[in-house]
Amino acid sequence: MIFPVEDIFAEAPRATPLYAAAASSSAANVWTSINGWSVARVYDAVETEYEFAKNEAVLVDLGALARYSVRGEDAGAFLSRLTTAPTPRLEAGESARGLMLMDNGGVIDLAEVSRLSDELFLLTTPMRHPRRLKLAARGLKVVIEDIASDVGAIGVLGPASSEILAGAGLKGAAQRLAATGSLRGVETAARPVQFGSVAGVELIFPEEEALTVWERLIRRGGVAPIGLDALEILRLESGAPRTGLDYTPADHMRPETRRTPDEIGLPHLAPLDKGWFNGRRALRENPRPAGRRLVTMSVDADHLSPGAGVFAGDKPLGRVTSCAWSPSNKRVIAQVDISTVRIAKSFEISMVSTDGARASAQIFETLESKAAVAYYDGM
Amino acid sequence: MADEVERKDGGAGRIEGGVDAIVVGANADGLTAAGYLGKAGLKTVVLDSSLEVGGLIQERVFDDGRSFLDGDRLLNILDAAAVADLELYRHGLSYAARRLATTYFFKSGDSIELPGDLQAPAQNSTDFDVKGFAQFVEDVFDTASYLRPAFESSIDKQSNVVTLDQLLHDASADFAERIKKFTVSDAQSIIEKYVATQSLQSALISETVFRQENSPQDAFSFMALVRRWAGEIAGLQGAIGYPAGGGETIIASLRRAVQSFGVEIRAAQPVQSILTEWDKIAGVELERGGQIRAPIVVAANSAKKVFLDLIGPDKIGVDFQHCLSALKPRIASARLMIDLKGAARDEETLSNMQRRLVYAPDSDALRRAYAAARAGEVPEEFVLEAIFPDILDDETRSDDRHQMFVTAHPVPFKEKFNDDWRATIEAAIRENLEIFSPGISERISNIICRMPADDAKATGEDAASFAARAGVFQQFALSSIFARNFEIEGLFFCGAESQIGTGVSCSAGRSAAQRAIKFARTVEPMS
Repeated sequence: MIFPVEDIFAEAPRATPLYAAAASSSAANVWTSINGWSVARVYDAVETEYEFAKNEAVLVDLGALARYSVRGEDAGAFLSRLTTAPTPRLEAGESARGLMLMDNGGVIDLAEVSRLSDELFLLTTPMRHPRRLKLAARGLKVVIEDIASDVGAIGVLGPASSEILAGAGLKGAAQRLAATGSLRGVETAARPVQFGSVAGVELIFPEEEALTVWERLIRRGGVAPIGLDALEILRLESGAPRTGLDYTPADHMRPETRRTPDEIGLPHLAPLDKGWFNGRRALRENPRPAGRRLVTMSVDADHLSPGAGVFAGDKPLGRVTSCAWSPSNKRVIAQVDISTVRIAKSFEISMVSTDGARASAQIFETLESKAAVAYYDGM
Repeated sequence: MADEVERKDGGAGRIEGGVDAIVVGANADGLTAAGYLGKAGLKTVVLDSSLEVGGLIQERVFDDGRSFLDGDRLLNILDAAAVADLELYRHGLSYAARRLATTYFFKSGDSIELPGDLQAPAQNSTDFDVKGFAQFVEDVFDTASYLRPAFESSIDKQSNVVTLDQLLHDASADFAERIKKFTVSDAQSIIEKYVATQSLQSALISETVFRQENSPQDAFSFMALVRRWAGEIAGLQGAIGYPAGGGETIIASLRRAVQSFGVEIRAAQPVQSILTEWDKIAGVELERGGQIRAPIVVAANSAKKVFLDLIGPDKIGVDFQHCLSALKPRIASARLMIDLKGAARDEETLSNMQRRLVYAPDSDALRRAYAAARAGEVPEEFVLEAIFPDILDDETRSDDRHQMFVTAHPVPFKEKFNDDWRATIEAAIRENLEIFSPGISERISNIICRMPADDAKATGEDAASFAARAGVFQQFALSSIFARNFEIEGLFFCGAESQIGTGVSCSAGRSAAQRAIKFARTVEPMS
């Protein structure tokens, strides 16, 4: 799960249940807004937060994500219609990632589905989709509740996350399956998550207990909060496109400019051989449209701005949609939106960096690109 | 293939195979589709939930036990290709009257008459704009012939959207421009431009808005008249015909044609669901239990019933489903079946009854009527169309009474209502009937007033599919969505929503079947 694009023009973003705790931990005090919620961009320093996530453990306030509980006889059918996640095959406790697609195969958003019991699911999406959920539920026996304002959510990410959780009293929680338990008296649900390139556990608890949970987790040390800027590096390293930034949701676009799962580099999240979902018929007719691709590249430059041009020789190929300096790779990692018609002819790609010089770039292998290749190999 | 058929009344748990195509719904379009499929040599089964096939064409019984045949009685857009291909004349289709003249009545007490052949010289009072009317008819007929391919939904899945420019490619620039103007304009402004006299204007306007959702002042409303006059009965554009025996004759001749091609019709066999496997049609499941397997299903019920009830929302696209329910009808027509005491004896009265009578309110009254109906209130005036089935068709004539069939438009569309509301509508329409002949409502001995909700209840369909028709272009857009964008292989739709224009047409059934036959030639038969 990753955050969507920031809504920087939102007026007076709301405070998440964890806002008080996050604000007191934040030395930098730099904030932004996502889905109308306040989110910290930096707590201390981006590099330190990044190192902590890579080597130890970090806490993320995940309150800005859209969250829905989906309940009822047809809950499974509803989710396998709305998202490409393989909902019917999930056992209680299992989670799966997927995409939300239009009928025409265009990607609207990412989605993550967890099955809590036979008829109860948890749906998490980067952006809010109240209207689409309502439309998709028509005719099905299902009750959808927007629980984003009722719960607090913390991501405990990084290699040491299980120790942190054990130390806080959630022993071995949610390494593989979603589970409910009690964290020192607070009713908590936990489930494994992958946030960008780091794995961990997401804890969900009643909104009023948010500060207690945060306090319990942070008290023992070995864990630091991480802000959006450091998370963005982890996100770029994983190759996951950010909704609204690297691609525009298809429900905001004309049909001919929509992006399919293949075009945003996530074909493995909409497998054509695993049951029906909304948009599958359109994808089946044209599974790999020759158009544009989102590709993650590493660039031999110290600095790069989103919007920079991407070239093959002298020919323009596309543009950089998002980028960040990756300390562990010692290079800039960038998501680029390029034309596939031209990429087949040449892989020598250069970018215009901010100082005006061309910098060479290579395809960067990510979790997502590996999964996409494996998916196509298996077909 | 056919010899593998096991069953007749298989019952629960039985799986029947050896069928090439299943038609769900035995209305005119469903039977037309079945006829084409049978003629192409496909082993076809027609399933219908009711005991009597024919959709709305049913017998209604008055309180005193007398009966009356309900349904679409006048034909104006019956598909000529279907009549010829299925040899309906050989199977019993015949007309009691085929160039029905129409008399238009006005509030002032005046009336004018339009002949069955609209291009024949009109013989009317001096207050009739002969020249303007002739020009109008000519231009509308020319427009209709250019647009006919779009009206008959004969656009197949492979071809892309047909644009107006493609349809008009050989028209002169001048004429193409005029047609384009027609397509977007409101009826009132165009008609007022062509004909000078007010009575003729009212007559043409009432003809345009009859059974339509759009009022004459709404944009695009003029196309409804173009569509209607594009229909060809007995080789005449815009003519109106009355089949001998009423609407039932169409169904009966279709049924005979269908059976002559070896198609089996099973009445009282409600379908529980249409089965799909992956993105392909697998057959149908019957309400009584048991399945019939086939690679092709042609569905002739309303879109909501087919896609939401029979296929299920979990198998159709979210955006497609939104198209199904996006249109909320507000306007409908009421049908009245009336039993009149006392029979006319003198020749003049009888000959005056041997035509179609239309009450045409003036444009202000019509505007008020639409405003009231849209607000859910009962209008003061209606466009009324009345015929006397027993006069048009001698077979059913009785000595001491007449039957009268009246359609009133617009009435508010309601999915649920009580008897008081029905009585209010009925009373308002009765008051309007006096225009045709003062004192006529005193002679009414029996009356049945039917609304969309009644038909919905009787057929298990969605009431909205019996509401007034949306604008022609809206219908066209909707029907092409159903024809093209719905990607379950082997499913072909020819329900009410795929027809363009009001009345019995059969062209949707023909075009669905033609697509199905093309499809059948590309798939392996199911084992």
